[in-house]
Amino acid sequence: MDRRTVLKGLAGAGSLAVTGGLSMPALSQGAAARTLRFVPQANLANFDPVWGTQYVVRNAAALVWDTLYGIDATLQPQRQMVLSEEVSDDGLIWTFRLRPGLKFHDGEPVLSKDVVASLARWSARDPMGLMLRAIQNELTAVDDKTFKWSLKAPYPKMLLALAKNNSPCSFIMPERIAQTDPFKQIPDYIGSGPMKFAKSEWVPGAKAVFEKFTDYTPRQEKASWLAGGKQMLVDRVEWVVIPDPATAAAALQNGEVDWWESPIPDLVPTLKKNRNIGVDIADPLGNIGAFRMNHLHPPFNDVKARRAVLMALSQEDYMRAVVGDDTALWKPLPGFFTPDTPLYTEEGGEILKGKRDFDAAKKLLAESGYSGQPVTCIVAQDQPITKAQGDVTADLLKRLGMNVDFVATDWGTVGSRRAQKTPPGQGGWQMFHSWHAGADCINPAAYTAIRANGDKAWFGWPTSPAVEKEVTNWFDAKSLDDEKAAVGRLNRAALEDVVYAPTGFFLTYTAWRKNIAGIAKGPLPFFWGVSKTA
Amino acid sequence: MTVSTTSTALVPPGLVVAPHLPDLLLPVAIRRGVLGFLRNHPTVAIGGALLLCLVLVGIFAPFLGTVDPTALAPAKRTRAPSADFWFGTDMLGRDIYSRVLYGARVSLTVGLSVAALASLAGLAIGLVSGFVRWADGIVMRFMDGLMSIPPILLAVALMALTRGSVGNVILAITVAEIPRVSRLVRSVVLSLREQPYVDAAVASGTRTPMIILRHILPNTLAPMLVQATYICASAMIVESILSFIGAGTPPTIPSWGNIMAEGRALWQVKPYIVFFPAAFLSVTVLAVNLLGDGLRDALDPRMAKGL
Amino acid sequence: MVSYILRRVLSTVPVMAIVALFVFSLLYIAPGDPAAVIAGDQASPADVERIREGLGLDRPFLVQFGTWLWRILHGDLGTSIFTNLPVSALIAQRIEPTLSLMVLTLVLTILVAVPLGVVAAWKAGSWVDRTIMAFAVFAFSLPVFVVGYVLAYVFALQLDWLPVQGYTPLAEGFWPWLQNLILPALALGCVYIALIARITRASMLEVLQQDYIRTARAKGLDQRSILFVHALKNAAVPIITVIGIGVALLIGGAVVTESVFAIPGLGRLTIDAILRRDYPVIQGIVLMFSFLYVLVNLMVDVTYTLVDPRIRY
Repeated sequence: MDRRTVLKGLAGAGSLAVTGGLSMPALSQGAAARTLRFVPQANLANFDPVWGTQYVVRNAAALVWDTLYGIDATLQPQRQMVLSEEVSDDGLIWTFRLRPGLKFHDGEPVLSKDVVASLARWSARDPMGLMLRAIQNELTAVDDKTFKWSLKAPYPKMLLALAKNNSPCSFIMPERIAQTDPFKQIPDYIGSGPMKFAKSEWVPGAKAVFEKFTDYTPRQEKASWLAGGKQMLVDRVEWVVIPDPATAAAALQNGEVDWWESPIPDLVPTLKKNRNIGVDIADPLGNIGAFRMNHLHPPFNDVKARRAVLMALSQEDYMRAVVGDDTALWKPLPGFFTPDTPLYTEEGGEILKGKRDFDAAKKLLAESGYSGQPVTCIVAQDQPITKAQGDVTADLLKRLGMNVDFVATDWGTVGSRRAQKTPPGQGGWQMFHSWHAGADCINPAAYTAIRANGDKAWFGWPTSPAVEKEVTNWFDAKSLDDEKAAVGRLNRAALEDVVYAPTGFFLTYTAWRKNIAGIAKGPLPFFWGVSKTA
Repeated sequence: MTVSTTSTALVPPGLVVAPHLPDLLLPVAIRRGVLGFLRNHPTVAIGGALLLCLVLVGIFAPFLGTVDPTALAPAKRTRAPSADFWFGTDMLGRDIYSRVLYGARVSLTVGLSVAALASLAGLAIGLVSGFVRWADGIVMRFMDGLMSIPPILLAVALMALTRGSVGNVILAITVAEIPRVSRLVRSVVLSLREQPYVDAAVASGTRTPMIILRHILPNTLAPMLVQATYICASAMIVESILSFIGAGTPPTIPSWGNIMAEGRALWQVKPYIVFFPAAFLSVTVLAVNLLGDGLRDALDPRMAKGL
Repeated sequence: MVSYILRRVLSTVPVMAIVALFVFSLLYIAPGDPAAVIAGDQASPADVERIREGLGLDRPFLVQFGTWLWRILHGDLGTSIFTNLPVSALIAQRIEPTLSLMVLTLVLTILVAVPLGVVAAWKAGSWVDRTIMAFAVFAFSLPVFVVGYVLAYVFALQLDWLPVQGYTPLAEGFWPWLQNLILPALALGCVYIALIARITRASMLEVLQQDYIRTARAKGLDQRSILFVHALKNAAVPIITVIGIGVALLIGGAVVTESVFAIPGLGRLTIDAILRRDYPVIQGIVLMFSFLYVLVNLMVDVTYTLVDPRIRY
């Protein structure tokens, strides 16, 4: 028994006399072993996975709602709530049948009308969903367990759209909740997934509690990412928000929490030394660091200026700043697609490889007509990844001889300022930093950041007909080889036009106490199959 | 004039010589001038000297063996203190020794500016409020209102309106400190207002500005000076707290606050990143407080006998 | 006296109105859009605009202010943009930890600092005085989070006497509640103790030089009664002022302490709300804080009259 328990016991005995009542918390020793305490990567402030698309919302939503299909560790969509599907010969009509025994947390069965309403809400916000809406004839419930989606044109990536793990996922909600306007929050959190959300215990920003849904019928197959049987081996999951990394590390070492989603790399050696703690790579798909230049205004409206920056950019500097000294945690990335995935390519990536040539870069910059005007760089200080990248960029631009106007601000301000298309002197910007989950960069399907359709593109508004052509080619591709060819050309075109500047590929760790078993690697933390021994 | 003497020399007749008395009062060396003042009040001397040292360090930072404090070298990040990097390097490979020395500039500027500005403004407002009875209610309610807006909110809003900068930090902290000074001045004025000598001054027709200058001001000076040192010290610490939540000076300008804020996640494994700026901050605050204490003791006439 | 109190209570209304207008305007002008944060990284500008409309953020300033003011007067502090929960519910959830921390810190401070200051003044010039003042200065000069980290490291991690983080409600037992609050209260109180000790000492020193103290001594009163009955009461005015003012310090420090020790209190709620631009929450909390301040200041002013009969209103 450790010191704290002894002290607690003594104090408990003492205060029994004072308070005349029990001084131990409500949970008994046994119950404590069935509660998993998890430290998420960020605050869970709201809980509508279609309305708010942050990663942490999606991670929590995956516990509470189930999906029609789920992507597995081989990146293939697998059936989840669906029993079987049929597609007509011309590819225009998709018919789906639901599994029997599916229930919502309020005891009601899951019916097609719920699915139809949920899909309608989801497709109003999701890029692939919007594509489906554009070619949709109708989406109807045929009977209680069957629904039909008829299209005007074939959509081969239908299952991927329904299975994908990028936000927003096609979670199935009760009809009355799904009928909420997609631009407003849902009022209730009745779900279809393996855990119930304990709304009464929710302290937004501090704690979120999930309880096992005993009427959930998992599939028979082995769980793999969002596919397979989602067996819950703990009764209760508590998300404890600890904003300070040093405190989270201490809490993990002390046994006050069981699993820390994203320990910062510099603290990992201490955690690894602790006999009670296990550490491993969280997600082999990792993350891609990025900064985006504004294609609408000088100097970066000239491709030569953008390429000059790429020539001088040192991915090693950026990656070390973001993840530290552990070389196992990062890789150079001469492209835009996630390493170790089928569509990874380095085509056209020579500009990012090899020794950095500042003289050539400066010459190219001069050719673009840059004459010393200030470059407004908005950097969010409250996100460690963007903060680190911002510091490196300021240094990079200075060495290139550019005049940096460094605007240190917070993520909220960056979010709204980057939407401004006005010139930099009037509230606009020329550079901002971000990062993308590797899982979102596997292919062009949900990869908003790679699109170059001018005004409709992501912030920075790049325009590159070559890139857009290859995106369409990929969507129409019939075989993997065709897809690879299209993506290779896409990569080259995107680098030539510098849609954005990738700063490197990096991995993050996850850490847990050794009395927890079953943690799987993946793009989000999976709670099924995770067990806790006292 | 009688002179006491122990001399046994022959004295001319007729001259009255008093008998020798033992020395009851040892001769008190009356020290004059600035040097004398300093020797009389060692706390002022120590505090002032320390503060002066740090100010000089800040001014002459480029010549004290420093390199560019913003020069990154991510390959050399988080190195422990060594011959190359006297205080080690931070998470981006920047030399901590240089950053701490240059950081003295920012932290001292923030502390001294806030103390001066807040004291002046607070003094004026407190005097008006304490003396002009009808204005007291309104002014104090306004001060209450101002005080209830958390300085952090003000700083973040200001930072969001424009950008993170030293000027905004100074402004935000000053606005937050003014009500406190004005409250303190007002409380002293309220007590003094009832004193007989003030009544006497009023009765003898002294005009209010003269009363303020002659009677009120000297009595408020001592507590205000102490308060000003607190404000200076606390402004430096508030600056570090603002950096903690990302609303302080931008990272391109090193300040002790943002060096600590950046290193705080690592303090268990690389404590030197937080330790050195914390040490410098502590020493500076100590110096300011010693100075304030010493000045307070020196200026209070009843304490002139000195401790 | 009663009429004074009534007048003061009435005058809080315009104060709060000024604060309300000020805060609302500031947030209105400040850039940074909750809709953008909600919409997330992958959203298009059109999406963000739709969300803004859904939140009512696109209506003109006066309409928004008017609506908000109307609701306040009906006791409705609004609904949080992010969590869709009523602001009053959020505040109610988080107020207990913050209040507990502040009250505990206040009690600890007064119990420790005032005696320290009195002793230092009594033994002015001696090594006792110098030690106490040295400690006070040292404690005052460390930032709260440094103290917090050191305390957590030593007492929680290394010695394992106390938990590192978290909060247990009082309803679950006195000792668990206290356990979680000891380290944060110490960290927060460090600065406060130093401040109060110094002000107590300074004020007491002034008073101890007075003639009536000399008279009391000449009368043969014992030291304890001189110090605490005669001197302290007279020295109390600036001390009480600073205690009242110090409540402000506590709230500022509470933000940091709550972050370091992961206490789910109002400080963290405010910071999170500010960074996310959750306007209703920010406005609700600031209004509440201003009410608290006005209350505290009223209490301070009333206590003046109790302690120093020369002060009249």
